[in-house]
Amino acid sequence: MVVDRTPRVGGRLAIVVLGLAALLALLTGFLVTFVFHFPPTLTAQPTTVGNGVAIHLETVAAVQDAIAFPRPTDPHPDWVSYLPTTIFKVPANSVVTISIDQEDGASGLRNPYWSKAQGIIGGSFHMSYFDNTGAPQAGDFSVIDPTTLAHSFGIPDLGVFVPLQGIADAAPAGSHNEITFSFKTGKAGVFRWQCFVPCGAGSIYGNGNAMSTFGYMSGLLVVQ
Amino acid sequence: MAIAPIVDGPSIIQSSERRVVIPTNILTGIVLAVFGYWVGEQLGNSFLLNDAQNTGVLLGYSFASIMFLVGVGFANYPLARLFGWRVTPQPAGDDHTGAWRYFNLSLDHKVIGVQYLVAMLLAMLFGGIGAMLIRTSLLVPDPPIVAPDKYLTLVSMHSVMMIFVASAAIVGPFGNFFVPYMIGTNRMAFPRLEALSFWLVPPAIVILLAAPIFGGFQTGWTGYTPLSEQADQGFDSYIVGFTLIGLALVVSGVNMLTTIIRLRAPGMTWTRLPIFVWGVFSASILGTFAAPILAAALVMQAFDRTMNTTFFISSAGGSPYLWENLFWFFGHPEVYIFILPAFGIVLELLPHFARKPLWGYKTAVVGLLGVTLLSWFVWQHHLFMSGVAPAIRPFFMFSTEMISIPTGIVFLVAFGTLWRARISMSVPMLFCLGFLFNFLIGGLSGVFLSDVPSDVTLHGSYFSMAHFHFTIVGGEIFAIIAAIYYWFPKMTGRMLNQTLGKIHFWWMMIAFNLAFMPLFAAGLLDMPRRVSTYAVDLQTLNDWVSVWAYILFASMLFFAFNVIWSWFFTFKVAPANPWQVRSIEWMLPTPLGRRNFETIPVFTGPPYDYGNPNAKPVADLGGPSDSGRRGLGAEPVPS
Amino acid sequence: MNRTDRTHALRLLVAWAVLSVIGVFIAMQVHLPPGDQSTQSVDETSLLDLMLVISTPVFIGVVLFILYSVFAFRQTGAVLEDGPPNHGNLRLQVAWVAITAVIVLFLAVIGINGLSNSAAATTFASSQSTLGTVGSAGTASGHRLQVQVIGQQWWFTYRYPDFGGVESAHLMLPVDTNIEFHVTSTDVLHSFWAYQLGVKADANPGVDNITYVSTVQTGSFEVRCAELCGIWHGHMADPNGQVVSQADFATWIAQVQKDDAGISLPPYSPIYFPHPPVKGS
Repeated sequence: MVVDRTPRVGGRLAIVVLGLAALLALLTGFLVTFVFHFPPTLTAQPTTVGNGVAIHLETVAAVQDAIAFPRPTDPHPDWVSYLPTTIFKVPANSVVTISIDQEDGASGLRNPYWSKAQGIIGGSFHMSYFDNTGAPQAGDFSVIDPTTLAHSFGIPDLGVFVPLQGIADAAPAGSHNEITFSFKTGKAGVFRWQCFVPCGAGSIYGNGNAMSTFGYMSGLLVVQ
Repeated sequence: MAIAPIVDGPSIIQSSERRVVIPTNILTGIVLAVFGYWVGEQLGNSFLLNDAQNTGVLLGYSFASIMFLVGVGFANYPLARLFGWRVTPQPAGDDHTGAWRYFNLSLDHKVIGVQYLVAMLLAMLFGGIGAMLIRTSLLVPDPPIVAPDKYLTLVSMHSVMMIFVASAAIVGPFGNFFVPYMIGTNRMAFPRLEALSFWLVPPAIVILLAAPIFGGFQTGWTGYTPLSEQADQGFDSYIVGFTLIGLALVVSGVNMLTTIIRLRAPGMTWTRLPIFVWGVFSASILGTFAAPILAAALVMQAFDRTMNTTFFISSAGGSPYLWENLFWFFGHPEVYIFILPAFGIVLELLPHFARKPLWGYKTAVVGLLGVTLLSWFVWQHHLFMSGVAPAIRPFFMFSTEMISIPTGIVFLVAFGTLWRARISMSVPMLFCLGFLFNFLIGGLSGVFLSDVPSDVTLHGSYFSMAHFHFTIVGGEIFAIIAAIYYWFPKMTGRMLNQTLGKIHFWWMMIAFNLAFMPLFAAGLLDMPRRVSTYAVDLQTLNDWVSVWAYILFASMLFFAFNVIWSWFFTFKVAPANPWQVRSIEWMLPTPLGRRNFETIPVFTGPPYDYGNPNAKPVADLGGPSDSGRRGLGAEPVPS
Repeated sequence: MNRTDRTHALRLLVAWAVLSVIGVFIAMQVHLPPGDQSTQSVDETSLLDLMLVISTPVFIGVVLFILYSVFAFRQTGAVLEDGPPNHGNLRLQVAWVAITAVIVLFLAVIGINGLSNSAAATTFASSQSTLGTVGSAGTASGHRLQVQVIGQQWWFTYRYPDFGGVESAHLMLPVDTNIEFHVTSTDVLHSFWAYQLGVKADANPGVDNITYVSTVQTGSFEVRCAELCGIWHGHMADPNGQVVSQADFATWIAQVQKDDAGISLPPYSPIYFPHPPVKGS
């Protein structure tokens, strides 16, 4: 009996091709939105004062409360974050000055060792802040009370650790503590940095959420 | 729900019997699953627990899985019995013909075997894509090609997907399809459980693939606490998916054990059981008794994530050790679930392609059962460095060293079979020989890991990774591919192209070894596992590995092409016994009939009776329908 | 065994012997980790060397057998022929099982022996080490320098209870000293792996995991985390662990004490529990 096979092949081929197309479409979507998705890179600008380069950052209790660097399209508006991004490009063998507008309240350190500044030029950072009567203060510090930290900035591979004091409850709304410090970069390389305060609220031990997601509380220092 | 029509004589649906019919099949399953997910999530979130919305996701996945099974048709028979509707034991799914039959609930073990084969190959594809992304990320230590948190999600998804595959890829397709033939029965003991064990797999795969939508999870396949408790909702995929696979293992194991113990045809004594069936049998023992421990531990983690219990939180009275021990008490038998059926396949195929009896059959059985027994007593070797009481480490070193003795028996029996044989270098035989080489390396590296002083350097490093990839990929996956080439003609009615098969073997063997052998060196050179970066001087090594990994993946795509082409685009029916071997399934025609045997066979001789001029066929297929033995399996199944 | 059997067996045996000698010679040239920076690492290296030397003839034997079979025991004609109906040989089976049992049990005994040696960690029973308690000179036999390793996400820190519980982000150890590590964690599981020292111990929150090392050579060693601990697990690596002379160590620890003076560190404790593990701290 002669069987006309062509339609079967045509139908099967269509199914195979459609299946492959669907698979490729899903895969591409996965790659673009998830696998190869990176926050943008912030290139440090030369400072107007002194030598070297400068980076200006903001730390917030929730992305939606950002003042200096709003990020309206963020998928997690209620997460703590460094803003505008966490990948910084700086030149090799130069002085990098970072100033951070710290707007989050204190959550306290797990290991008080990180309350002391290390690896920064002069061993101290300049901080303008509000005391617990709401009065503005300023000064140079090398260590602060471990229970008052909101975040920290640490580059373990370079030995840099800086505590960031939490904003006092009595401070006026919309204000921030400003912490400024400098460190020297050596040869080229890529170094990761992270916050050492368990500030990922809503997760057990505080290191989930924003702490465990690249682009919020940790990032890369690209030295070129 | 669909109601089967009355089946005395031609199918006639009496008008008084008509009911509203919603066809139950995979599409209904998907629709109901989506609905079930929505209901579950709304319900979970409505409890307003301090749970970071994990309850919603967990309930959503659970309801989705249950509704999927309802949609596929598992509720039909129980509901029909409950409401007193007329039923037949066979669901409507088995009334379909053609390809659509495979997308329905079928109680035919042959259909379930083919469904499993396709699901396992698809899952392997997904896992393989994850592996390619991992190796791409490891081309450069820094700056990262993939962000470190996404990288860990890739690692976790690749590993969990491959664990799903490795748990079921032999027993699922080949155990379900061929064990009834090999023991001479028309059905399994619990066809509905068998179907359930398959239909639990698609939801598990989809739930796992959904993890990135919720941010993924960073724990690897071991799900260690407290890291997992820190994870977002992505980790709920792991909990539900792995529980479903654990359930599938139990259900499949119960069915398989009962079938093998109770449904053997006359003449099929324990000492005549094909060694493949012994492999499935021993793995099923482990699956049935180990998987519930995993399920219980996963439920405990789910409670920790939703109801603020603290089973695994040490600062509140729990202990991460509890998870580690529960997990590995399951986890070690789990890896023997992977390899015992693979031993079964290799020791089954060697006699057929060497045309010699299996040398030391009883010793081989003792070896398989010895591994099964000892696998319960070695799990602490995964925890040597974890700070467990030092006094117990010598016992586990001892037991771990001991388990290599029954494993060595497999090589003994293989060698005895090859000695003075008449080997046909067919494609299945090539893969069996590849298995022996790869598993040798995997097994020897296990010995390095089994002594604590040597384990200090090797634990948690790429050496350990290379060890289990050689045993699982080089071992089990090679055995699966051997089984596919061997049994494809009988399962699908088509021959896989043998020339392409030989190319596939050499391509895969060389690429696999060149990709994974250097990983032993990476581990010895201080590279830990699951890392997204590494010391700069290891970049050349990692790049070499990644390139050969791509080539290995390409060989599997080449194999996929052979499978799809031969199965769907060639129309020449395979011969009934293309390998000309002595085994009952090859005595039957190709394509196979719906009913396995018109009359239950009587087995008349040992399974590998080669070289015996007076050998009878393996079984007498035309034997009397009443051989004096009544009971399940002697009755033909209503069709 | 008939004559053909004996021929095949003899050929295989001779080939195996020759290749094994060559293989073992090559295996003995391989420089395996961890090295000789501590007594433990020396033990571990020699066990790895032994295992490599034993594995080599096993590997060669199996591969040789497979290759030989494939060439010597093929189907010859166009017509399929069966092989001889051999079902087994009890003596051979027993011999194989016995030999494999002896080899693996031998390795188990050596491993157990190595374990008990490293647990004692009393290499330096004499007064070679002057360190131990704060400001003391000379030690009783077997006294060990206590070093606490704290794993946290995502860097190790180290405390020295013998020196007032001061903390440092880098690990320095004096040479010729018995050292007792107390490894713990403040959040999730980590694993303290000092590669060249041959030390690996999991950092488990709420657990004081004790392991020992006796340093015998100065030099640097790498510290890596060997248990998946989250996003920066791979980056939790410090290539600058140092074993230095005892005088250098004394200078360094004094500097650490000075640096830590302004920090209000909590008192030294074998384990540290974080604040209540609520999901909002």
